[in-house]
Amino acid sequence: MFAHIFFYRFKCLIRDKQLVFWTLLFPILLGTFFYMAFSNLNDEESFHPIHAAVVPSGNSHYDASFVEVLRSVSKGKNRLFTMKTAASQAEADRWLKAGKIDGYFSSGETIQLTVNESGLNQSIMKSFVDQYRTNSAAVAQIAKDNPNALQNGLLQDLSDRRSYVKEVSGSGAEPNNVLNYFYVLIAMACLYGSFWGSKEIMDIQADQTERAARINTAPIHKLKAFIAGSLAALLILFTEILILLAYLRFGLKIDFGPRAGFVVLTALLGSILGISFGAFISAVVKAGEGLKIACLIFVTMAGSFLSGMMYQNMKYIVSQHVPLLSWLNPVNLLTDAFYALYYYDNLYRFALNAGMMVLFIIVFCAGTYLIIRRRKYARL
Amino acid sequence: MPVFKVCLKIFRKNWLSVSIYIVIFLAIALLISATSVSERPTTFSQKKARVAFIAEEQTPLVKGFRKELSRSTTIVALPDQSEKLQDALYFRQVTYILRIPKGFTESVLSGGKMQLEKTVVPNSIENTYVDLNVDQYWNLARLYAAHDPGISQNGLASRLRANLSGTTPVVMKTENAAKTSDSFSMFYFNFLAYTLSAVLIMGISTAMMVFRRRDLRMRHYCSPLKQANVTMQLLAANLLFAGASWAVLVGFCFLLDPQSIVTMNMLYFLINSLLFTGCIASLSYLISTVLKSLNAVSAVCNLITLGTCFISGVFVPQEFLNSTVLKIASFTPTYWYVQANTRIAKLTHFSWDHLAPSLYSMLIMLAFTGAFIAIALVIGRRQQATN
Repeated sequence: MFAHIFFYRFKCLIRDKQLVFWTLLFPILLGTFFYMAFSNLNDEESFHPIHAAVVPSGNSHYDASFVEVLRSVSKGKNRLFTMKTAASQAEADRWLKAGKIDGYFSSGETIQLTVNESGLNQSIMKSFVDQYRTNSAAVAQIAKDNPNALQNGLLQDLSDRRSYVKEVSGSGAEPNNVLNYFYVLIAMACLYGSFWGSKEIMDIQADQTERAARINTAPIHKLKAFIAGSLAALLILFTEILILLAYLRFGLKIDFGPRAGFVVLTALLGSILGISFGAFISAVVKAGEGLKIACLIFVTMAGSFLSGMMYQNMKYIVSQHVPLLSWLNPVNLLTDAFYALYYYDNLYRFALNAGMMVLFIIVFCAGTYLIIRRRKYARL
Repeated sequence: MPVFKVCLKIFRKNWLSVSIYIVIFLAIALLISATSVSERPTTFSQKKARVAFIAEEQTPLVKGFRKELSRSTTIVALPDQSEKLQDALYFRQVTYILRIPKGFTESVLSGGKMQLEKTVVPNSIENTYVDLNVDQYWNLARLYAAHDPGISQNGLASRLRANLSGTTPVVMKTENAAKTSDSFSMFYFNFLAYTLSAVLIMGISTAMMVFRRRDLRMRHYCSPLKQANVTMQLLAANLLFAGASWAVLVGFCFLLDPQSIVTMNMLYFLINSLLFTGCIASLSYLISTVLKSLNAVSAVCNLITLGTCFISGVFVPQEFLNSTVLKIASFTPTYWYVQANTRIAKLTHFSWDHLAPSLYSMLIMLAFTGAFIAIALVIGRRQQATN
C-alpha cells in the first residue's frame, strides 16, 4: 500500500507543471541570468595597467629622470602604466576628455597630476608621484646627514627597490564573492521546495481539498499516507536540486570546492528542510492556499535577501550585527554551508550549519505532526 | 464606456500583485538615495583601500608605518582570528590583510630578507595600490639604515614622517563630467526598467487575457458596440494604466532627487522612459495574445523582466557585462533603453551631434514597439479567423 500511494502521489505531483516551473526551471534560468550578468564582475576588480600620459615641461633637468622612472614602470607584463607622451597639455586634455587616459602627469619642478575623477587608478597615479617626490626628499636628507652616502651607492640602493610583502593564502580557495549569489540561489530553490511540502499538507487535510477528503476516506493510516506522499515530494525536490547543482557545476562551471559528497549532502538536507518547512507553515496557517503561498514566498524571499541574493554584503552585515538572525534564517544556513564547504579548509562551520538545519527539520516535522495528528472531521 | 470601465476594474482587482513590485522598487530606491552622494566632489580626494592591520611587534617604525599607511588606506579593526579575517576578505570589508611578523623591523634595518605577509583578493587594484605604499615606506627605511648609520628607530620614524609628508598637487577637471553622470537619477531610471516592465506586463497582460476569454468575446460580438469602438476603449484603458504607472514611478524620482529636475538631462530621461513605457505596453499586449492561461502570466512576467534586466545592464552596468551577453541583449528593447539612459546621463552639451547616439537608441526602441504591435495584430487576426 505504501508503494502504491508513493507512486500515485509522485505522478500526481509531477503533473503540476506550475510547481515544476518554479522549483526547477526558474532557479536554472535565474542561475543563467546571474552567470551572464556577473561573469565579468571579478575581472572588474582586477588590476589592469593604467592608461596615463606625461606632458614634458621642456626642461630636461626635470624631465629626464622623471620620464626615465615612468618608462621603467611602463614596461613588461606587470607594468603599472601604459604610458603615452603628449606633445602639449592641450593634447593630454583632449585624451583625458575622450576617456583615453585616466590622468596625466605634468613634469616640472613640481610634478602635477591632472585627472577627471577620484578613482583608484588616479590614486595609484598620485601615490606614484608622491613616491617620486619623497624619494628625492629622502635622498636630500640622507646626503645632508651623511655626505659620503652619495659615493657609497645611495642612488644605486634607491633604484634597487625591494618588495617587502609576500602573498600568503588565507585558505585553499580564492575569495570569489560572486559565488555567493549562486549559493543563495540553490538555497532559495530548496526553500521553494516548501511548495511541495505545503501541497502535501493540503492534500492530507480533508477540510482543505477534495483530494484530501478522498484520501481520508481510504482505510489507511493517515501518517502512512502522509509519509508516502512526503517522500514522493522529497524525491522530486532532491532530483530537481541535483539537476540544478549539476547545471551550475558542469554547465556554468561554478566552483563548490573539492568536497562533492558534502555538497550533495547539503543539497539533501536543504531539500528535507524545504519540504518540512512548507508542511509546517501549511499546517500552521489555516487560511486558504493564497495566504500559505504568500507566507512561503515571503519567508523565502526575505531569507534570500538577508543571505545576500540582491546585495551580497547583506549576509556579512547581518552576521556582524544580528548574528542570531543568521542562525535562524534557513536560507542563510544553507548558503553558509555551501560557502563554508567552498572557502574553509576545516569542516567546523559546515557542521554547525548542518546541525542547525537538522534542528530546524526536527522542529518543523514535530510541529507538523502535532498539528495534523488525530484530526477528525464531523462532516466533509 | 462599459468596456473601459470593466478594464479599469480589472486593474483595480489586480493591484496587489502590481503594487508589490512598486513597493520593492521604492524601498530599493530609498536605500540608494540614502547612500548616494548628492554633491559631486570638485576636488581630488585620494581613494582609500580597506586594510586589516595585524602587527606582531610594536616598534616605533611599525607605529610610524601604521600612521603613514592610514593616509592611503582605511584600517579596519578586526580580531586576529582566521575565520573572521577570511569572512571580511570574502565580503570585501577589507581587500588586504597585512601581517607584520615579529622581528620584521630588525630585519629591514639590518638588510635582511624578511617580508610582511599579505592575504589579498588576487590581482586586485587595491592590492597594487597598497603594495606601492607599503614598499615605499620600508624601502626608505632600508635606505636610511644603510646610509645614515647611527640613526635611532625613533629618529628614523620622524625622518620618514617628514619625507613622506606633503602632497602632490592634483587638478580635477570637473567640467568634463555631467551633473547627472553616475547620479542617483541615472540609477533610478535604469532600475525603473525592471519595475515598469513588471508592472505593465502583470497589469496589461492579465487584463487583456480576461478580454480574450471566448465567452466574453462572444458577448462583445452580440453587443451593439462596434469592434473598433471596443478596441479603442481597451486601448484607452491600457494607455491610462501605462501612463499612470509611468507618472507614479517617475514622480518618486522628483521627490528623491529634486536637484536633477532642473537639468536638461532629466527632460531626455523622461522622453526615453516614456518611449520605453510604450514599448513594454505593446509587448504586454503581445504576451496576452500568445499566452493561454492566466497562471502563466506571473511566470512569463518574471522571466521576461528578470532576464532582460540582468543581461541589459539594469542590475549590473553594461560596462561590466561581456560582449556576447550584450550582443544577445541588443535584441531586447531594455538594452537600448539602458544605453540611451547611460548616454543621456553623461551629456553636457545638447547639440545634435551629442544627442544623436541617444536618439538613435530611442529610435530602435520605437521600432521594437512597432514590431510588437504588428505581431500582436497578426496573431489577433489569425485567432479571430480560427474562432
